[in-house]
Amino acid sequence: MSDIPITPVSAHLGYPPLQRSGDEVYGPDGTMLPHWQYVMNTVTSLSGTVLGERQGKAQRLLRDDGATYNIYSEDASDSRIWGLDLIPNVIGSEDWADIEAGLLERAELLNLLLRDIYGPRNLIRTGVIPPEVIFANRGFLRACQGIRLPGDHDLTMHAADVVRGPDGRMMVLADRTQSPSGAGYALENRTVMSRVMPSMFRDSHVHRLAGYFRQLRNKMLSLCPHRPNPRVAVLTPGPRNETYFEHAYMANYLGFYLVQSDDLVVRGGFLWMKSLDGLSRVDVLMRRVDDWFCDPVELRGDSRLGVAGLLEVVRAGNLVVANPLGSGILESPALLKYVNEIGRALLGREPRMPSVQTWWCGDAKDAQYVLANLEQLVIKPTYRKPGELSFCGPQASKEQITQMRAMIQADPMRYVAQPLLESSYLPTLNGLALEPRPGILRTFAVAGTGSYSLMPGGLTRVGLEEGAFLISGQTGATSKDTWVVASEPERITTNLPEDTSPVRDSEFTNLPSRVLENLYWMGRYAERAESCLRLLRTSYTMLNGEELLSGELRQVLMTSVSQLATVAFTTPPATDEAMIDSLRQGDAPRAIAGVLNSMLFCADEAKELLSSDTYRVINDIRDAIPLLEAGNLPGGMTPDEVLDPLVTALMALAGLTHESMTRGYGWRFMELGRRVERSMQTAKLVGAMLGPGLPEPDQSRIAEALLLTLEGLITYRRRYGARPDLRSELDLVLLDTDNPRSVMYQMGTILRQLRKLPSNAGYLHELPPAEKALIECSTRVRLSTLSELADVDNGSRKTLLAEMKALDAALMEISDMIGDRYFDHRESSQQLVAARWEGL
Amino acid sequence: MKYLIKHITAYKYASRVSHCYNLAQMSPRTTQRQTCINSRIEVSPDLAMESRREDYFGNQVFQFEIQKPHKSLTITATTQVETRPQIADTNLDLGITCAEVLSKMRQSKSEDVLLAREYQLNSSMIAAAPEFRDFAADLFTPDRSLLSACAALTERIFNEFTYSPLATTIATPLSEVMATRKGVCQDFAHLQIACLRSMGFAAKYVSGYLETLPPPGQEKLVGADATHAWLSVFSPGEGWVEFDPTNNCLPSEQHIITAWGRDFNDVTPLKGVIFGGGSAPEMTVSVDVSRV
Repeated sequence: MSDIPITPVSAHLGYPPLQRSGDEVYGPDGTMLPHWQYVMNTVTSLSGTVLGERQGKAQRLLRDDGATYNIYSEDASDSRIWGLDLIPNVIGSEDWADIEAGLLERAELLNLLLRDIYGPRNLIRTGVIPPEVIFANRGFLRACQGIRLPGDHDLTMHAADVVRGPDGRMMVLADRTQSPSGAGYALENRTVMSRVMPSMFRDSHVHRLAGYFRQLRNKMLSLCPHRPNPRVAVLTPGPRNETYFEHAYMANYLGFYLVQSDDLVVRGGFLWMKSLDGLSRVDVLMRRVDDWFCDPVELRGDSRLGVAGLLEVVRAGNLVVANPLGSGILESPALLKYVNEIGRALLGREPRMPSVQTWWCGDAKDAQYVLANLEQLVIKPTYRKPGELSFCGPQASKEQITQMRAMIQADPMRYVAQPLLESSYLPTLNGLALEPRPGILRTFAVAGTGSYSLMPGGLTRVGLEEGAFLISGQTGATSKDTWVVASEPERITTNLPEDTSPVRDSEFTNLPSRVLENLYWMGRYAERAESCLRLLRTSYTMLNGEELLSGELRQVLMTSVSQLATVAFTTPPATDEAMIDSLRQGDAPRAIAGVLNSMLFCADEAKELLSSDTYRVINDIRDAIPLLEAGNLPGGMTPDEVLDPLVTALMALAGLTHESMTRGYGWRFMELGRRVERSMQTAKLVGAMLGPGLPEPDQSRIAEALLLTLEGLITYRRRYGARPDLRSELDLVLLDTDNPRSVMYQMGTILRQLRKLPSNAGYLHELPPAEKALIECSTRVRLSTLSELADVDNGSRKTLLAEMKALDAALMEISDMIGDRYFDHRESSQQLVAARWEGL
Repeated sequence: MKYLIKHITAYKYASRVSHCYNLAQMSPRTTQRQTCINSRIEVSPDLAMESRREDYFGNQVFQFEIQKPHKSLTITATTQVETRPQIADTNLDLGITCAEVLSKMRQSKSEDVLLAREYQLNSSMIAAAPEFRDFAADLFTPDRSLLSACAALTERIFNEFTYSPLATTIATPLSEVMATRKGVCQDFAHLQIACLRSMGFAAKYVSGYLETLPPPGQEKLVGADATHAWLSVFSPGEGWVEFDPTNNCLPSEQHIITAWGRDFNDVTPLKGVIFGGGSAPEMTVSVDVSRV
């Protein structure tokens, strides 16, 4: 992300009254509302330069935290940095008290509604709502009938999208009950704002968000009342989900495990997490997977995001899922049409906060009205398919309207219509100008003892254009921190209970095996990429050197590159320049980019374990990958200059993990991966470079290249001077246990790490297979005779080649043994009866 | 009539199944016209976990988990049940007319009508379509009684369709059944439900067993009976009335109900997820219905 361009003009930011309804900042008489004055005065007094810097800093902080919002698209790597506008959405505390009361009541109402839908269904029996509102909705999961949660509420979390209507009152546009997202982004926005605009934030007396999260954590823990120190896990669909950042962020902030489908298994009526120590019981699942996907046995049969048998564990009372399975039905906008009737039936009154007017096409009269007025209305499905967007009549073409009409007529119960709302406008930075943008607020409520609590604030999203219609992360919008400010300096104290729960168990030594596997591979990929990059760099250095290379040397270099990067060998061209081009445009850089992308994938899978410093380096690597590919060289850059920042970033990554990761299993597996890969790469490199017996001076030059690639040249020269001697060189790169890049050094480290891992061997002194194999192969290296290795027979060093090949093969086997023992090799599952899911 | 039913389902897998989670609907529910005296389900290999419950539709569900590696799975359900004839099998022509039914379905606020509306709607295996309406509409004239029209539709399906076990599988869509005019009991039940729903009536899918009698003078073969499927239509004021398009009859004492739902998916005798197992598991089913 590049910073906002800074104009040298000290622009005075003006934001005049809009002179129409929907102005959040000014009252009807054109005077600025009191709660906006401080923020507006502060912002407008900042110079353009300062504002630009702050904006840039905010983007950097978001990027370092890995705050992304993935966009549904073919390209898996298409994730965006979360957008944050520096001007908060300011809400006065009196106004907020009204909003809060309305939303707390609404959460209570939806809780009662949820209980009725999966309980007696009195609202249907007594004709309060037409049966089809529930029965025709795919979100109504019949398998969830009768499931109840411990405590006063079944609906654990409720989020609502609210906008200020034309009358100045807030109204509900939509309820979010499936697995409400956004609270984590709201927290991230707050964290960044308090760092980027510290004094403005401090002096505004903004209500804090921490209480909400404490309440959320307490609620989750309280869902398992009968076990001390219950284990809570956040179930995520994985890194490709659009809000994965938030899943990892929340899991980390709340101190819960982050798990995916494959980390979990049902056994004996309980849910377990597969970890290095065996199976650990999970008591509460905070679900970020849609309910319909959570159990292939009873819900959607072809789902790969859930856990087979989960629902029965819930039914048996051995697991609580929050929000409860089935809660997605409450999101149906068809319910908005009947919300007043539902309120009267369940609460004895109409809800105090109004909802947007809604016509449901399952009602004949409504359908008639909707079909006659399609051009003015917004059409929404009662059950959203992923990626399905609303239809906006005023912006639709004739053809689209005809199409929509046909869709409604074919299945009227699936659609509702709402008027196109003109939401109120918030001052928003566009470059350095303040412009009005339509804003929508998502609020978050969590159940507590007796009542719900509302996050004071929430996630404000604004459209990118003045008349923006769809405001959601999917279609491009930016967000704002939401400040509920006290009109008087003293803050209202919150009455939330202190967090008295004990510290979570085992401080994440007990990780899902999937995370460990990803860390192991992250280590391997990082090391593989680094060694390939080093070799490429050495090759460029030699090719750019004073002396031209012989054909044999070019051949050896090309062989080495193709072996390390595992690409097909191409015959080297006749000149050094042509060889540079061939290396740059050949398959090797693309292969290295592939390795780096794999590494990034593993890093994403283990995101919750990586610090933001680490993430910054990972982002640097991500940004540098396109440079590897041919044609992308920025002006004047030589191919080797492109490699330097990547090598440095990879070394920084190694240093950071070494210095700042606790020595838990996570670190150990990453370290194992690195060491195994480094030994393998060294074996390959020594074989490829020194295997052919070259005549002098080529032999010395290639040996120097090897030392350069393995960072041993300086040591070698200090020890032996400039005198090339193959045996001394082999001594340094293979046997020297003081050289952190030698094979023997790696072997020692691998052995130490293996011994720290849990082993359940049957006998006290029998070694586990991986350890045995390692001792065998390290002994073989240790026992080598350097003169035999250096011996040339018929133009090649046969013993050296054989030994290096054997070493590589042995390490591959050891890696497999580690995988077999510690990683979960899941069998593929299938449905006993593959039912068909027509139209669903 | 009192029956003893033995229903054995056996799976053979091409390769080892390490563990599995299953859900069986093999114990008959007690209804207006039958009482389930007892029902026992045995599974081999041993179970890690089992439970019984009533599902959303009021059907009996037996849910289990196996954690032992196995290459075959056998489920034996043994049931004693007492059945009675349907109450509504008097004169079908005298009941409430199709036009009245449709108007009541729309307007009545009575609880049973409101709840029955669930069965007017599309379900995962049955979607209303003009072809189904066209197939049946001429029989459902406004002044004709719904039940008489239903009996006529049952007869039409029986006459125009060929029973052919090899023609279809669970995954065969209804439109194909309609085109080939071939299928099994499950297809015919789905088809008649689709016709009824396409015209705005409420109908549900009923699964169960049918006692078959050997030809005169012959011994009954063991395992010769089968699981069966038919449907039930809702008539406001008259309740649910069952029809069997496979045999062109009104189900009676010989039709033993196991479960009902919107379609086959709601009442699958055995479903679940297995880990491993290779491709194409081999399934055999044997059913014995004997009078006691």
